[in-house]
Amino acid sequence: MNDAASVVMLIVSLTLIKATPLIYAALAGVISERSGVINIGLEGMMVAGAFTAVAVSGPTGSVVLGIIAGIIAGALFGLFLGILATKFRVDQIVAGTGINLIAIGGAAFALVLVFGQPGASKEVPSLEGASWILIALAFASAAGLHGLLYYTPWGLRVRACGENPHAVAAAGLNPLRTRIIAVTIGGALAGLGGAYLSVGELNLYSDGMVAGRGFIALAAVIFGRWTPFGATGAAIFFGLFEALQFALQRSGIPNEAMQALPYIAALVALAGLTGRVRAPAADGVPY
Amino acid sequence: MAVDGVDLDLYAGEIHALVGENGAGKSTLANIAFGTVKPDAGTVQASGTIGLVHQHFELVGRLRVWQNILLGREPRRGLVIDAAGAKARVLQLASDNGLEIDPDAFVEDLPIGIQQRVELLRELQREPSVLLLDEPTAALAPAEIASFFTTITHLAERGTAIMIVTHKLQEVISYSVRTSVMRHGKIVGSMLTASTTLDDIAREMVGGEIPAVADRAPTTPRPCLSVRDFSAGSGSNRVTEVSFDVQGGEIVGVAGVEGNGQSPLADALAGVATYTGTLTISSSKKRPGVIPQDRHREALVMPWSIVENAILGRQHDPGVQKGALLDRKVARADAESIVERLDVRAASVDVPIKTLSGGNQQKVVVGRALLGEPDLVLAYQPTRGIDVGAAALVQSRLMEARNAGAAVLLVSFELDEILTLADRILVLYRGNIVGTFDRAEIDRAQIGRLMAGSK
Amino acid sequence: MNARRLLAGPLGAILLALVLMAAAMLVAGVSPVDGFAALFAGALGGPNQIAETLVQTTALLFPALGICLAFRAGLFNIGAEGQLLIGGLFAGAVGSHYAMPAIVAFFVLLLCGFVGGGLWGGIAGVMRAKFGANEIISTLMLNFVAVFFASYLVVGPLRSPLATGAETAPLPPSEWLPILIPNSRLSIALLVAIALAILLRFVFSKTVFGYDLRAAGEAPEAARRNGVNMARMNVLAMTLSGAIAGIGGATIVTGVLHRFNTQLSPGYGYTAIAVALVGDLDPLWICVAAFGFGILEAGGLAMQASAQVPKDAIRVIEGLVIVVLAARRFVATQTEKTTA
Repeated sequence: MNDAASVVMLIVSLTLIKATPLIYAALAGVISERSGVINIGLEGMMVAGAFTAVAVSGPTGSVVLGIIAGIIAGALFGLFLGILATKFRVDQIVAGTGINLIAIGGAAFALVLVFGQPGASKEVPSLEGASWILIALAFASAAGLHGLLYYTPWGLRVRACGENPHAVAAAGLNPLRTRIIAVTIGGALAGLGGAYLSVGELNLYSDGMVAGRGFIALAAVIFGRWTPFGATGAAIFFGLFEALQFALQRSGIPNEAMQALPYIAALVALAGLTGRVRAPAADGVPY
Repeated sequence: MAVDGVDLDLYAGEIHALVGENGAGKSTLANIAFGTVKPDAGTVQASGTIGLVHQHFELVGRLRVWQNILLGREPRRGLVIDAAGAKARVLQLASDNGLEIDPDAFVEDLPIGIQQRVELLRELQREPSVLLLDEPTAALAPAEIASFFTTITHLAERGTAIMIVTHKLQEVISYSVRTSVMRHGKIVGSMLTASTTLDDIAREMVGGEIPAVADRAPTTPRPCLSVRDFSAGSGSNRVTEVSFDVQGGEIVGVAGVEGNGQSPLADALAGVATYTGTLTISSSKKRPGVIPQDRHREALVMPWSIVENAILGRQHDPGVQKGALLDRKVARADAESIVERLDVRAASVDVPIKTLSGGNQQKVVVGRALLGEPDLVLAYQPTRGIDVGAAALVQSRLMEARNAGAAVLLVSFELDEILTLADRILVLYRGNIVGTFDRAEIDRAQIGRLMAGSK
Repeated sequence: MNARRLLAGPLGAILLALVLMAAAMLVAGVSPVDGFAALFAGALGGPNQIAETLVQTTALLFPALGICLAFRAGLFNIGAEGQLLIGGLFAGAVGSHYAMPAIVAFFVLLLCGFVGGGLWGGIAGVMRAKFGANEIISTLMLNFVAVFFASYLVVGPLRSPLATGAETAPLPPSEWLPILIPNSRLSIALLVAIALAILLRFVFSKTVFGYDLRAAGEAPEAARRNGVNMARMNVLAMTLSGAIAGIGGATIVTGVLHRFNTQLSPGYGYTAIAVALVGDLDPLWICVAAFGFGILEAGGLAMQASAQVPKDAIRVIEGLVIVVLAARRFVATQTEKTTA
């Protein structure tokens, strides 16, 4: 009985740990897509946040500075995508793919420059026991984003931009600026998610550590019907699959099958849900 | 250049009509005045703010009425929106202007006439000194138009300068004080409406006589299209168990305000949407000639040449397809035949179709639909957004197809177009056929009432 | 592609790439003169270097042609990486298990790649056609599933008892692709890829299937209303797209590695997106673009070795090239019709 309880506790805590970066990234996807910009670059923004947090935390010895730097790095990539998607009317999918390459390649390049070694950074100061703060903050962010989107004038504007940016312009507002700000905030959230991975859950950056979480977050956005709480729920669901991976390590199920599970779950969710949920009408449509 | 060296004055308290053909530059001028389009040269001055009611309303369907009206000027309580205060403000605004509205309704659930009211209220809450209305009656039933103008006249009486952009001359004559005519981007005439006539304005608009449509010849009717208990579409835009026939040698016009089931009806008849009921087509031809509603999205591949577009829809037919390959000679011959028959103005059949004017693009669509002399022609707004010359040509070709024995179903939101072409008129309201008129017994006023849902 | 468009698009992107490359060298503390010298010497300095550049060209060309086909059909196949891997896996599994004479092996193993990649791409196509599932996300997910699937097989059931790492047994030499330049890794796969490019161009411009495919990509609603079965086209285009990438994976197995392992591709499937875009989605220009990126890939390694500029700089440049080129609209996206 005690054993069962401790297994459940283990799975619950692992789920929270694994869901946290997904929650940040999924919230980033929600705010971006609610404003009308599909953010394929979430993965790259997480990478930027994860690497920058380590690159700053190491030399300065301050994990807080590292996290702030990670947020800023993600936000800068968000700003980049936001400007590309609005002012330059770049195809959002292709631009996001490009941003992923830039961030992933850039992190690998900078890793050699900063730490003098490829593959992984040296160990740096991390949050260690205090990483629960970022877990709690993820849930607070979900609530905050919900309030922002549904109760504030700016949130109404964001939602209007995602549905019909021309209506926003007709009301005398600038939909491009709203979209850029929304995607930049999204980038900051994704950067924070990345920073959590590198200096919250671990204490280093290694190439490939984000491992597609940015893409799973995209599925979580759809699964969560483009709402902050829905996306958070979906992120927890995908986090559970990641947690099960560890919990069932000795169960005889091949490890690779367990690793593939979150992705397969996302595929199934994608197939099962599409058509039954309605995306923002102007999602992915340039203004 | 869409607008070229225009001078225009609007006066407080006056309704000013800006008329002109499609493509004359009216909407561009309105957008320049409003500020959404930047002029290359010149200035716009107003004694206060300028409001614009768009032809295709710029509303957010999934937001509520009050959210649409107050977007960007929401009353706040601290950081958050004061929803109760906002609704009260919208109700006040509506009653001030003698309009009725439910502030809590979702815009997408409202009929088009009410949606226009939402857009109008959004502009009015900014208390504009100048109000521009771009084709405001395009989506209204004839009976709704009068009440719309009551609202507008009332506004003008209270000191607002109003400009109505339109191509409906009857409304100009009935409601405006001053009329300006635009042609090829220039204002070619400005006058007091009372001192002019409908024919004068029309001639000024076209820059000459209005081209005539081909004559109606006697035909021998024979059964072609038969529809029984036919239902298609979903939501509010659908048809419900309608039954009608279209004979070879007649044009049947479907009159009605947009959104009363026309699209699902046309799509189902064209074979691109599902339906229930029976549909019988007696035809020796493989498929009907289809002129869809939206030429950019539904009919043409814009980067392609006229040649490649000429065979779209028939690419799998024997004769066009040779084994796995396309017969380019056939495509070229078809393209040249379309260009000749419809008088398409293009440098060659190899230029991308996106480089053609809207009128010439539509001519390609119509020409392609009429290739191979189809027994049945489904025409949906065949002259939408094209100039009078191109429109007359398109209408003539449809009439000639009818004279040659084709059955033509014409869906149009322009009652005048239906009155010009149709041998028989069906009035569609909320998915039902609420009236049928033979050409001999057409009663314009009665059709207008039926379109608005009254008897 | 006319001169103006060439300058505004691909050529401008290449110039930008060179400038950025120089910037990256400066950041790494290397003089651009030395850096470029190392890069070009490594890529084009002699027959062996050129051969290695062409090996990289070939590896990029197959997935780029596959991506080209999908993009032309209006489908954003971001999953060439996974399709390439599964194609290689099928070829490696069959090739290491059955010994075949050369001519049989050539066709059978390429067919294995075709089938493997086609299946992987087809999954996304079916999901799109049946459920409307967005192919961008599904192909991205399938890339990860492909890696885990393949590594499960080479760690477990397919693992060679002789091998030190996680890989299949080597293919018998009779199954190796013939080598074009002696003492190099350059096989006739290059010729297969070029032939495929010519075939694709012909399909696009001359056949009814190509006509339907382009219509689906340029104007999905007009295509649907005019005799193009969009569901069928989505499945077919994604399957063929994956199959072409899969052939590429098979040629790496039969022509370069002579066995399958999960390190088959250092990201060819992603770089190929840049190749396809730089090539303006035209198969013949894609051949040229693949050679250009082949120089970067092959020269990048040399640059890292001799000038100490991390080769990942190249990844950054690819990303920037993609972003710059994406400013032009390539295909009418079908996003308006999907909900995801």
